[in-house]
Amino acid sequence: MSLRVLVVEDDREIRALLRSSLGVEGFLVQTAVSVSEASAMLFHSLPDIVLLDLGLPDGDGADLVRRIRSQHGLPILVVSARHQEVEKVKLLDAGADDYLTKPFGVDELLARIRVTLRHRGTTHAPARTCHQHEDLAVDLGSRRVVVGGEPVHLTPTEFKLMARLAQSAGKVVTHRQLLADVWGPEFTDHTHYLRLYMGQLRAKIEKDPAEPRHLLTETGVGYRLAAA
Amino acid sequence: MSSSLRSRGNLQWRQFRDALVALALLSGATLVGLALQGHVGLISLAMVYVLAVVFASYALPRMAAAISAVTAVALLNFFFIPPRFTLQVDAQESVVALFAMLSVALVVSHLGTALRQETEAARSSERRAIALQALAGELAESSQQAQIQALAQQFLARAFPGPCLVSLLAPDGELDLTADAIPTTRDGMLACIREAATLGPGTGRWARLDTWYVPIESEGHMGGAACIRNVSAPDHAGLEHAQAVCALAGHALWRLELAESMHAAEEQSRWHKAQNTFLAAVSHDLRTPLASIMGAASSLQTQRDKLPLMEQERLCALILSEANHLATLAENTLQLVRLENSGDLDRDWQSMEEIVGAVLARVRARDVGRRIRSNVPPRLPLIKADPVLLTQLLENLLDNALKYSADAIDLMVTSTVDVMELAVHDFGIGIPDGEELAIFEPYRRSDRSGQRGAGLGLAVCRAIARAHNGTLEMRRRDRGSSFILTLPVARVQPIPEPA
Repeated sequence: MSLRVLVVEDDREIRALLRSSLGVEGFLVQTAVSVSEASAMLFHSLPDIVLLDLGLPDGDGADLVRRIRSQHGLPILVVSARHQEVEKVKLLDAGADDYLTKPFGVDELLARIRVTLRHRGTTHAPARTCHQHEDLAVDLGSRRVVVGGEPVHLTPTEFKLMARLAQSAGKVVTHRQLLADVWGPEFTDHTHYLRLYMGQLRAKIEKDPAEPRHLLTETGVGYRLAAA
Repeated sequence: MSSSLRSRGNLQWRQFRDALVALALLSGATLVGLALQGHVGLISLAMVYVLAVVFASYALPRMAAAISAVTAVALLNFFFIPPRFTLQVDAQESVVALFAMLSVALVVSHLGTALRQETEAARSSERRAIALQALAGELAESSQQAQIQALAQQFLARAFPGPCLVSLLAPDGELDLTADAIPTTRDGMLACIREAATLGPGTGRWARLDTWYVPIESEGHMGGAACIRNVSAPDHAGLEHAQAVCALAGHALWRLELAESMHAAEEQSRWHKAQNTFLAAVSHDLRTPLASIMGAASSLQTQRDKLPLMEQERLCALILSEANHLATLAENTLQLVRLENSGDLDRDWQSMEEIVGAVLARVRARDVGRRIRSNVPPRLPLIKADPVLLTQLLENLLDNALKYSADAIDLMVTSTVDVMELAVHDFGIGIPDGEELAIFEPYRRSDRSGQRGAGLGLAVCRAIARAHNGTLEMRRRDRGSSFILTLPVARVQPIPEPA
């Protein structure tokens, strides 16, 4: 059975393009042009993934994301232009899974959809206890981190940060989410903690901290632990 | 108040001094007379007193001089005319002589005073003329309203004893008076501005005041008003001087206003010209890739069946790369406009290592031969920056280096206590002479390689550097060029964890 995608996009050309290129890949594509239409469609039947464009005519995508999240674990992919950083982060904080920056190529879109589906959902996802990617292995249960076969000692805070990223491996975790989960909700604007601790983590885990292969920066948004 | 007390004190002091002078002259004449007595006749003695009266009339005000003249006659009578040491006169002849002497003394004192007054008037008008000249000179050099105001105030205070106040009209029609100014001062100034005429003694309006209110204007453009206290009605020359000072100040203000509006008009026209160049360049740079896209797309649409597969793929690749170019151009244009219009950045503590990492992750896709060699030292200080903008800046620099050189590219970060430097060195053919500044101008492009640039990249980079209170410079080296971004580092770094 083919997967169903709900594309929420107000531009007709891009809607048509997405419909055809996703259709070719075997997705069943539904489209909506506004937040209200998307809400109505979601009420009737649930797709397997939502592609949500920012800057829709009738307002706040974050509300829609929050409403979906409160009931369903289906993956939500946000599509934004480069200058919509703040809004994008708001949607990610509200529970969206990942984002794509316009303009994007179809190959990039398909790759993101694949990754998002693989790590589908936040609420129904089974608790991840292990992460393995290239030379890095993290075992949350035994609190062991191994790089290239060598165990690495992490401080408790470094490990909490690593663990939080590993739980959402492959997905972007916003600054706010990281700060709230690792340090506590009252520290959500202490972004310098993140800069300092990510620097320390990279120094211990990455071969070249200035060109990380695991702990990736999503500029202005958050961090992502690279996953296969 | 204190100054009116002071002027009353001055008056008393002057009267006291006049009395001393008169006393000295008259007693001197009497002593000389007593010494000469017996050797010379009465007429010679009378002449000594006349001489004293002449001096007195030149040195003393009119009334004091007249009193001195009468006293001189009385003294002559008392000391020398028999019967001596009385005010009685025996001989009829002496009575005539005394009256003649009195008349002469009075006439001389009158003439002397008049002469003295004229001399004084001439001197003071010369002083005032010199003052006006100096004021005109200083006003010509002043380029600020406050400066003109201070000059006018200073020159009025120098010319008049009473307190003087100069106030300028603000654009909203209010005077720039401090809150402690006397309300009548404000009213008087506003009235003289409204009527565009001097008010106060000697002007025919508000003649009973002891204050002049003089408008500061030029050709109907009212700049403000001056208020001069403790003045007297007959001082016409003083009034004229005050008006001349105010006229000069008014003229200077008007000149300043004209210069400002001319400057604004010039700015406006320069802005329009820049805007036109910008639009022309944007439309040119937009049209070129659009033409390629349309050509390739229409060719694919109509001739696809006839085209070999390789050619079809080439056209697709062309459409994609031209569209990418357009996207970059649009993004840069928007970014430039945004940076110019709002000084507000979304700044937060950022790690340069992280920014470099994020940029390399994106640029490596276009750096097939891994030509970029990065050198980022550990434990760099954090900087307050907008990460998205810095990422864009660095990506632009690296893309340029990849495009304009074929060899390795070095990316180095160094930091001192105050600044962090990020340098991108390439080993390309370098920037031609005379192009060092032009490359940072929007829509200028060095034609050194025949490659098409984004046209705006470096202009955006420099705007981003400046928005961060930093600089972006190009330095030429023996081989290739370096682009160096310098950013300030805050001395107070954030604390890693709460204590």
